[in-house]
Amino acid sequence: MPAIELDGVTKRFDDVTALRGVDMTVEDGEVFGFLGPNGAGKTTTIDILLDFVRPTAGSAEVLGMDAREDSEAIRERLGVLPEGYDLYDRLTGRHHLEFVGEAKRADPDPEAIAERVGLDREDLDRKVEGYSRGMAQRLALGMALVGEPDLLILDEPSSGLDPNGARLMRQIVREENERGATVFFSSHILGQVESVCDRVAILQDGAVVAVDTVEGLRGATDTGTRLVVSVAPGEAEAAADAARAVDAVEGATVEGDDLVVSVDSDEKMAVLTAIEDAGVAVDDFETEEASLEDLFAAYTDEQRAPEATAGGAAAGDGDDDAAPADDDAAAEGGADR
Amino acid sequence: MSTDTDSGGLDGALRDTFDWYPVAKKEFRDAIRSKGLWILSFLFTALFVMPAGLNWWDLRNAQQVPRGLQDFGLQAAISRSYLSIVTLLVPIVVIFATYAAVSDERTSGSLKVLLSLPFSRRDVIVGKVVGRSAVVGVPLAAALAVTGAFFALSPFTFKFDAFAWFVLFTLAFTLVMVAVFVSISGAMSTNLRSLAGAGLVYFYLSFGWNSLANSIGDLLANYAGVTGPLRWQVVLFVKLLSPTQAYRTLTQSRILGGEGIDTAMTARFSMFSQGPETMQTICGDVLNGQPSVRQGMFRNQTVCESAGSSVPPYFSDPAVLVSFLLWIGLAAAVSYYTFDRVDL
Repeated sequence: MPAIELDGVTKRFDDVTALRGVDMTVEDGEVFGFLGPNGAGKTTTIDILLDFVRPTAGSAEVLGMDAREDSEAIRERLGVLPEGYDLYDRLTGRHHLEFVGEAKRADPDPEAIAERVGLDREDLDRKVEGYSRGMAQRLALGMALVGEPDLLILDEPSSGLDPNGARLMRQIVREENERGATVFFSSHILGQVESVCDRVAILQDGAVVAVDTVEGLRGATDTGTRLVVSVAPGEAEAAADAARAVDAVEGATVEGDDLVVSVDSDEKMAVLTAIEDAGVAVDDFETEEASLEDLFAAYTDEQRAPEATAGGAAAGDGDDDAAPADDDAAAEGGADR
Repeated sequence: MSTDTDSGGLDGALRDTFDWYPVAKKEFRDAIRSKGLWILSFLFTALFVMPAGLNWWDLRNAQQVPRGLQDFGLQAAISRSYLSIVTLLVPIVVIFATYAAVSDERTSGSLKVLLSLPFSRRDVIVGKVVGRSAVVGVPLAAALAVTGAFFALSPFTFKFDAFAWFVLFTLAFTLVMVAVFVSISGAMSTNLRSLAGAGLVYFYLSFGWNSLANSIGDLLANYAGVTGPLRWQVVLFVKLLSPTQAYRTLTQSRILGGEGIDTAMTARFSMFSQGPETMQTICGDVLNGQPSVRQGMFRNQTVCESAGSSVPPYFSDPAVLVSFLLWIGLAAAVSYYTFDRVDL
């Protein structure tokens, strides 16, 4: 039984169509990343899963139950970190955790949860009005963990968190997944999703444009490994010719003094050997995995082209215009702004 | 007033019985931490105790307190001062305690947290109504308890039954008002709209309803040729639909007491002030009573006494009570269509 099943879900608000026939299946036990730029319809999709809004057409099932008819039963087994939420200023962190415990008829251990999400004991007994954005986010994550939910729905979970907080959040996602929970997690920060998700879906303009594993998406968009080789000035062209002669190489271009080679990561030693064999000395080299940033750019660019199908159309521009992979800290730094 | 969680006892039993209980508890916990609630308590107490206290102070040196005043001081205080204080003040206090109850959670986003938990939207509304009723009701009950103690210790005769009825109806009136204003809050998208809507309803219920009832009577008389008893039956019926009027007349009926008096009749009759002829029609033909004219100090006064038969069932206390409580049903219906079934 899939954890989430969306079938032709369409949602029209007064004058806007937020979702256009979304089909998506999240299998039980996986960590599923839900990607898309702001305004793509991610939050509307989650609102439908939680019965905050009702679809205009199509059906949504969560944990095998109808999202609309059985919403309460679904929410008994759900842990949710909503986007754009607010907490109750006059209540303490402990009150919040106890309240969720009562709602779910669970008996949470507030201290243990606070420790897991990195909230001090003093903060736990402080009124929430004194919390920073990051502390509130940690508490909200802790509230989602109460009662060992079968499915965690996290909407932009790393917003407001510093890099340490974001790392902790990913660790919790892994732990919860190992416990047996399915995790559905939306983000516009791609570095977040990449390191924890089994599969990802990309939502653009209210439609799912791709669903695959991170590796699968990489293959489909041809934004494979980039091998950046530093050689002596003036020898780059010779090195490029040598690299292109290797079967596995999909392309080699000279960017400044560097040679950039698109090649499967297993074959990079063959490329380096070929360059040296051609009499060019390799000063240094590094490999860069294509980030979801690149994949994302490839998919969303392609969306603008008419008649494009997922996969092929983006081939070719992947290694030219895509920025090198962000590390996590950089991606999270962006989220704090 | 412990706010600590203990898993057993009453707290646990309430949790097991009512899905909305955690919401109500959260509401109360949240509000009990606001200073406004304590100011409210003080305000209520001052307003209730002061009139009676002043009266007593004036009489402290009198050799003998007039017999009637001593006997009926409590009832007089209730029917002349307290009913007006309650009907004017309680709705205002309730508005301030509830106008943001749902709309604020909607605009701030905490409603998303609340509804991602296993609560139905009805649980949220019911929990809010119960929780916020406690928020207003607890200080109100405290003030009434102090007032009761004052009367018990003062030279006025303390009539427990009359006072208990007054307290009971006052708390019921609070509950009805909370239900109405919470439902308005659930229907509105912003706090400001909710406050405006609540204000309109308040002015209408408090100051507009009687003229509405009388205008309907005038219209019937002038354009439909409906005169005599039927006209006044309609007017009374419309008057009684107002929760404010229902509260007043129910309380008055309960505190009047006395030998051979149909208290419901007296209470309904006192809702009118018309010319002598009309008053006789109302007494005799609408309320099944026996009108008589008494010499007053400045003018003759029509009084209505029981002539063996009581008021018609549809104007009796139980009927008024039912229509009073129907306001809770109306509030529930408003919430169902404006909050349960809509996109957030």
